[in-house]
Parts: sequence; C-alpha cells; structure tokens
Amino acid sequence: MATTTVPQVGPAIHTRSLARSIAKPVGIVLFLGALAYLVLEPLIRLQSKAFANGAEGYRTAFTQPGIGDTILTTVELALGSLAIALVLGTFLAWCASRLPPRLRILRVIPVLPIVVPAIASVVGWAFLLSPRPGYLNAALRNLPWWSSLDEGPIDIYTVPWIIIITGIALTAFVYLFVSAGFENISAEQLEAAQVAGSSSWGVFFRVTLPLLRPTLIYGGGIALLLGLGQFTAPLLLGSTAGVNVITTDIYRYMSQIPVQYGAAAALGSTLLVFGVVVVALQKMLLGNQRRFVTHGGKAFRPPGRPSRWAAVALVAYTTVATILPVGALIIVSLTRFWSANIDVSKFTLDNYREIFDQSNITDAIYNSVTCSILAVLICLPIGFVAASIVLRGTRHRALRLAADFLVSIPLGVPAVLFGAGFLLTYTEGPLVLYGTRWVIILVYVTLMLPFATRMQLAALVSLGDSYVEAARVSGSGVIEANLKVVVPLLRSALGGAAALMFVLLTHEFAASVLVRSATTQVMGTVLFDYWTNGSYPLVAAIALIMSAVTGLGVLVAIVIGGSKALSSL
Amino acid sequence: MSRVVIDGLVKHFHGNPPTKAVDDLGLEIDQGEFLILLGPSGCGKTTALRCLAGLETPSAGRISFGDTTVFDASRRVNLSPDKRNVGMVFQSYALWPHMTVRKNIAYPLRARKLRQGLKAGWVEETAALVDCGPLLDRYPAQLSGGQQQRVALARGLVARPELVLFDEPLSNLDARLRDQVRAEIHELHTRLGFTAVFVTHDQSEALALGDRLAVMRHGRIEQYDTPESIYEQPATEYVAAFLGMGNRLVCEYVDGRWVADGQVLGGAPVQVPTGKALAVRLRADDVALHPVGEDPAPDRTTASVTVVDAEYAGRHMDVVVVMGTTRLQARIPTGDVGSWSRRVAPGDRLVASFRPADAMLYVADADQTADAEAIGEPMSLTDLARAETVEV
Repeated sequence: MATTTVPQVGPAIHTRSLARSIAKPVGIVLFLGALAYLVLEPLIRLQSKAFANGAEGYRTAFTQPGIGDTILTTVELALGSLAIALVLGTFLAWCASRLPPRLRILRVIPVLPIVVPAIASVVGWAFLLSPRPGYLNAALRNLPWWSSLDEGPIDIYTVPWIIIITGIALTAFVYLFVSAGFENISAEQLEAAQVAGSSSWGVFFRVTLPLLRPTLIYGGGIALLLGLGQFTAPLLLGSTAGVNVITTDIYRYMSQIPVQYGAAAALGSTLLVFGVVVVALQKMLLGNQRRFVTHGGKAFRPPGRPSRWAAVALVAYTTVATILPVGALIIVSLTRFWSANIDVSKFTLDNYREIFDQSNITDAIYNSVTCSILAVLICLPIGFVAASIVLRGTRHRALRLAADFLVSIPLGVPAVLFGAGFLLTYTEGPLVLYGTRWVIILVYVTLMLPFATRMQLAALVSLGDSYVEAARVSGSGVIEANLKVVVPLLRSALGGAAALMFVLLTHEFAASVLVRSATTQVMGTVLFDYWTNGSYPLVAAIALIMSAVTGLGVLVAIVIGGSKALSSL
Repeated sequence: MSRVVIDGLVKHFHGNPPTKAVDDLGLEIDQGEFLILLGPSGCGKTTALRCLAGLETPSAGRISFGDTTVFDASRRVNLSPDKRNVGMVFQSYALWPHMTVRKNIAYPLRARKLRQGLKAGWVEETAALVDCGPLLDRYPAQLSGGQQQRVALARGLVARPELVLFDEPLSNLDARLRDQVRAEIHELHTRLGFTAVFVTHDQSEALALGDRLAVMRHGRIEQYDTPESIYEQPATEYVAAFLGMGNRLVCEYVDGRWVADGQVLGGAPVQVPTGKALAVRLRADDVALHPVGEDPAPDRTTASVTVVDAEYAGRHMDVVVVMGTTRLQARIPTGDVGSWSRRVAPGDRLVASFRPADAMLYVADADQTADAEAIGEPMSLTDLARAETVEV
C-alpha cells in the first residue's frame, strides 16, 4: 500500500501514546481507589471509632462480663461446624461421584440447602426441634423411652445444636469445593494407582485424598471463616438461652441507643484477626500449588463400581437437611398458630393472604429483588474489570496485588461487620445514603465482589489469551475486543455468577439487618421482625416465599446462561 | 506493503528467574519477503513475533513498518496491535467459537472499517482462496483441524495487511495435513506476495517456505541467510545441529594424524588448517557403512564401528553405531533382498565412512551440550563427557 505517501508521524504519535501510557495506569488507580473507598472506608471508620477516647471501644468490649465465654463459644461454633461440614461434605462429594449413571441428577441435591435461605432453614429447624412444640420432638416423645417427657428430648436453643445446624449449612459449601476438586483429578491417575496394586480404599487414601488436599484446605478455610462469622443461627436460636457469639454481641452493641460503634468495632477486630490467621494458614499449608496441578485426559471416575448406596446416602442427607425443615415451614405456614399437634382439617391459606395484604412485606420482597438485581448488574462489570486487572491488566505488580487484595477482603470480613461499617459511613458525611435503598445496594455490591471477580477470573483463565489477541491483531481496540469476543464467550460463566450472586443476596440477612431502616426493609429483616414478635405462621410463609424467589432467580439464570449456569453454582 | 525494520530489539521477562527472551535482535524484511524465524522452543522466536504484532511490549529497540514507526522505546512510541495493520495466524487457530466462519473471516474488515472490502466480497474471495467457500455458514466447532487452520489463514489475510505473522500455524496438524497446508501457504504467498514472518521449529517447513531464514538461539540471531546457504553452509555448529547434522565427531590432530575418540581415522584425511580440537558435523545420510574388508572409495574417511541398533524404515535403514564412546547415526540404503545391509544387527562390527567434503567442521563448542538438549538431539552421557574434555 502507499507507503511513500505516509508522512513521518513520529512526534504526534509520541505525545498520543505518551498520554495513553499515562492514562491507563491512572485509570486503574482511580478504579482501585473507588474500590478501596467502598471496601476499606467502612472498616477504617469503625476502627477510628474503636480507638477514639483512648480506645474506649476496646475497653468497653473486652471488660464486659462474659466476653471470654463469647469468644470461646465463637471458636467452638466455628471448629465444630467446620468438622461436621468437612466430613459430611467430602463424604457426599465421594457419594455423588459414585452414583449410577441413571441417578446422576442426584448430584445437584447437596446444593439445595443453598437455595433455601439460611434464615428460613434456621426457622424451619426451630419448628422441628424446639423443646416443647417442635414437631420432631413431639414425634420422638411418642417413643416408649421418652414418653414420660413433657418437652425435649432435643433442645435446639443450645450450643451443640446450633453447631450441628451451622455444620449442615456449611456442608453444601464444602461439597461444592470438593466436587470441583474431584473433577480436576483424572481417571487415569486413579487407574494408575489401581494397576499398581492399590485397593479401592488404598486409592482413596493414598492418591485421591492427597490430591484433594489443596481443595480441602481452601474450602475448609472458607467454611471456617463462614463459621466464625456465623450470625443467623446464633441470633435466632441463641438469644433465648443466652448463647452469645462475637457477631451477635456486635449486633447488640449496634442496636443499643445510642449506637455503640466503638465497642462493636472492637469486637469485630477479633474476627478480622481470626480471618488474617486463617488466610495465612491457608497460604502456608498450600505452599507450592504447582505440586497439585492435576490435568489430563479423562474426567474423574472413582475406581470400583457405581453404588446404589451412594444414592441412598444423598437422599437421606437431603431429607434431613432440606425436606424436614422446609416441610416444617410448610406446615406452620398453613396453620393459625404453631403447636405440636398437627390438624390437617384446620389448614388455611390465610397467612399467605395476610402477607400479600401487608404493604411492608410486599415492599420488602420488592426491595430484596430490585436491590439484588441492581447489585448484581453493578457488581458484574466491576468484577470483570477487577478480574482483568488481576489477570493481565497492568505491568505494575503492585496494582495487580492491590486489586486482588481489595476484592478478597469481603470474603474474610463477616457481613455483620460490613453492615456496621456501612451504617456508620453512610449516616455520616460526605455521602448520606442511610434510609435509601442505595446503602443496601452498596453493601450488597461489596459483599459480592469476591464472587463476581473469582468466577469471572476463572472463566477468563480458562478462555486463554489467544481469542483476545486474535481480535486485537485483527484491528479491534481493547474495549471492542472485550465486548465482541470475551463477553459472548463468557455468557454461561456470567449467567452462573449472576445466579449465585442473586441467590446469596436475596438470602442476605446479616448486613441487611444493620443497614435497613424502618422504611427500607428486605425479606430477611421482615422475617426477623416477625420472628421476634412471635408471629410464627407468618414467619413460615415469608420464609417459603423467600425460597420461591430464589428458585425463580436460579431458573431465570439457567435460561439466560444455559444449563452450565447451575453447575457453576 | 512495506519493508519491516527491526533494530536492537530486547525483551526481558521479569519472572523468577528473570530472562532475556529477545536479545538485541536486528532484522530487515523486504516487501513481499517470506521470513522464517527458526529455532528450538525457548529461543525467543515467538516472543519476537509477538513484539511485531504488538502483543508484547519490548524492553528496548525499534520496529518500523515502512515509514511508520510502530515501536520505539527511546521515543516511547508503542502502537497497540489494532493500529498496526497486521494479520496473524495462531498456533491454536483462535477462531472465535461463537461466530460463524463468515463472521470470523469478516471480523478484521469490520474492525478496521474496510467497508469497501465487505462490499467487494473480499470475505468470499479469501475463503475461496483457502478452499473454505462452502464452509462460510458453519461454526468453527463443526470444522476439522485442517479446515479450522485454513479459516484462520483466511482471517489473517482478508484485510490485506502490511504484514502477516504466523505463529507455528502447522504444529497442531497431523503430518499429512501439515504438508498439504504448508504447500497451500507457499502457493498463496507466491500468488498474493504479502510480507510474512513465520515462526517454526521444523526445519522442513522453514526450508520449504522461507525466502530467508533467521536461526535463533538464546534470543539472538545465529545465522540469517537464504535456505540454501543455511542448509549447505551452516555458519555455526549450533545451526548445523539444528538443520539435521546430528552426528558429532570430535577430532584432534595428534602426531600428524587425525584421531577421534582414541581411534586413528583412515582413508582421506580431514583437511583443516588448525591444530585445535574440532567438531565434525555430519548428516546421517552422508554416513556410509561397509562390511569389514570392503574398501571404501579413496576420497572417504573411515573408522571402524560397532552396531548398537538398526531400524528398518522402508527404503532405507536407520543404523546407530558407536566408535569408542561416540554415537553416530547412519542412514543407508536397504539394498536388494539378501543384501548384507538388511541383516545388520546389534554387535556387528562394520566400517563407517564419510566424504570430508560433506562434513562441516567447527571449533569444538562447549555450549553445544546445553543446546543439544533443547534441540532434542540424541546425545549420550559419554558425549557430554567428551564435549567437556574437548573444551580444554
């Protein structure tokens, strides 16, 4: 082409590309600055409150009687539920991998508890295992050796049962991680061990389990953090019997008048320290991850024949973990008041009618759905940019690490603490949002940053560089290449991320209960208010509606993102 | 089209350990020329190609396409890939799976806003050039590997770029398909006359396609010349080894005779002016074997050897022999039914011979051992030990 007519444009290019080479890092720094304000500002403001007046907050929090018990109970709850979740989750994942082909569909089952909101299943468990009117207790009292009892034999309002309920809730997370871990082990690696002379059990303990180690450490770490920050079950079940954990104490400081930000923040610091320790331990134990790179040919298929017992175990787990509490919710929602005697002839739909007549409940449902959708829509592009920066956005290592760090924080900080921080930050200046939906949306966006980023990061990594490079070399700019090539190819990953985030957000309770105001409620907080008032049949109906909304969200995500969206859940 | 000039190109990777992938690379590629970057994996050839495309930012140096400077470290000029007017064919094809073949091929025209090209039917024309006309409405996943690579080729050529870059485009194809697509690329280049840079580690691809070859080693150019010169006159032992001269015989001049591995060589002397230790490089084809007692022609240098292994390969036999601790590969005609060469077996004692004119001689290069591994040459442990003693 006409090269001779192209003039030497050196100086012009010089200034333009100089401008660009400065503009790009500046843009990234601005983006990270905004992110840092969103994530760190609430935590920083809390700390400055805690250290105000010569660290008065710390003094109040740690001289209060019973603080030792609170911390002990928190640790007990975390470790106990972690142990249950690790054993049960790994066992279920193993069962799911041994299902006969016709029953493969059952592998979705252990994830179902995630679709049922934590607050709904806690309430369901209370309906089952409450000492006097609990349905399961009433049934057990029919057994001859317990027939003399007036209440019990199980009291759900005690530490061991709170641990068990929490453990069952965390099992689903461990199951997800371990199932994914199983998929990364190739069938050939196990066949090699078998051919070399190991029995089925030998293969499991000598090869499978060691290869799962990073997954177990990572998933276990996440479950431990979730257990430490567990809020819903202790709050709903522990308050009657005076069982306190750090998060419920934070909540109590936050609901006093005037609000005791300092003491709440000081207590929250212990959870932050725990979080740092857990993450550091994870890093230490994982060490060189390359040792665990397991790639290759055929997908994971455990040695030995598929077993019908695997299906039985999965169904049994589902019955206990999902069907029982949901069943209790359904029964209570159909009665006028909750009692141990079930009278089918008096079942009524009045509770549902009442819900849809009360504008505060319908408003809460509307708020939950709109806030969740808006938060997902805001969070996905932020996560995309953050993932791109972490992956290859900049030559500056420090900026990449900063992006990685910022989006990971919400995973290590309990939602209650974020709720407290957001309440503090957005009731004071410069940005006063308290009382509007925006404070809820902002806190939701923050809580979802890790999920939005990690899932898109994983998808981008598996997509590889060459598609984008081919588009760039073909003449597309950065933005065009991403819009025309990357986003369409990420469709199912985006659908999956959106589904997960929507589910988690419509369930959200811990942060919402702090940043809500009388006029802006979400489903979880309304449910909590009715629970505190003792309107149990209404509570049950609201809990079921929450589950239905979540289920609908998952369905829509599958339609948009394809069937793969569910597997990434 | 235009002349491409690369000057003093350096690319560091700040990994652990830090590496210098491209080290002071300088090349001039004439308009319409087909340049091959040849070398083992890790020699920096792909990095150099990616620097041309703008996919990597070099640490220093200058690149210009015609009168346009696309990269100049000292003036902080660095055009992004979309502003460079290049086409590229990737090793993994990188066809976008969510677009039809037609959309894939049309993409560079749309992205570069070449509407006249879309109107004038460049897409169909280019697809026809690579025999993909009937595939236009299919998706990449519905095509075979060879078809995918042809579509990738069409996408690289459709916008008639100043420069077409090929990143080992044939290495994912099976052997027969590879030859076929290679022939097609050669034909297309002859017909269209685009300027091209083609990265490969395969010497037969390099010899067949290139107008000129740049053999790379550790990020630098070891030799830059036409295929004929490089094949017939490899400038260094490294180039010789990479272009098929796999046999290495280290000779020393002792008491007026040439000694290799403790054995005095017979027949025609290796003619060299210096008295230093020398590495003789030979192709397997140029090594002949004779039964003991048969006299080779007087212009051949001889040594007695022992057979280690013999493989039947149709029209020829691949025989591995040792003299002392040096392994030599010989490719000899299979011969008629009943001939001695068919019955060669491990342990047989034979005479190996070569014409000094066929051999290339180099001052023994101690670095050779490290590179031999990268090239994938068969080299025994004794060879390693040998190379070290030669260094002295």
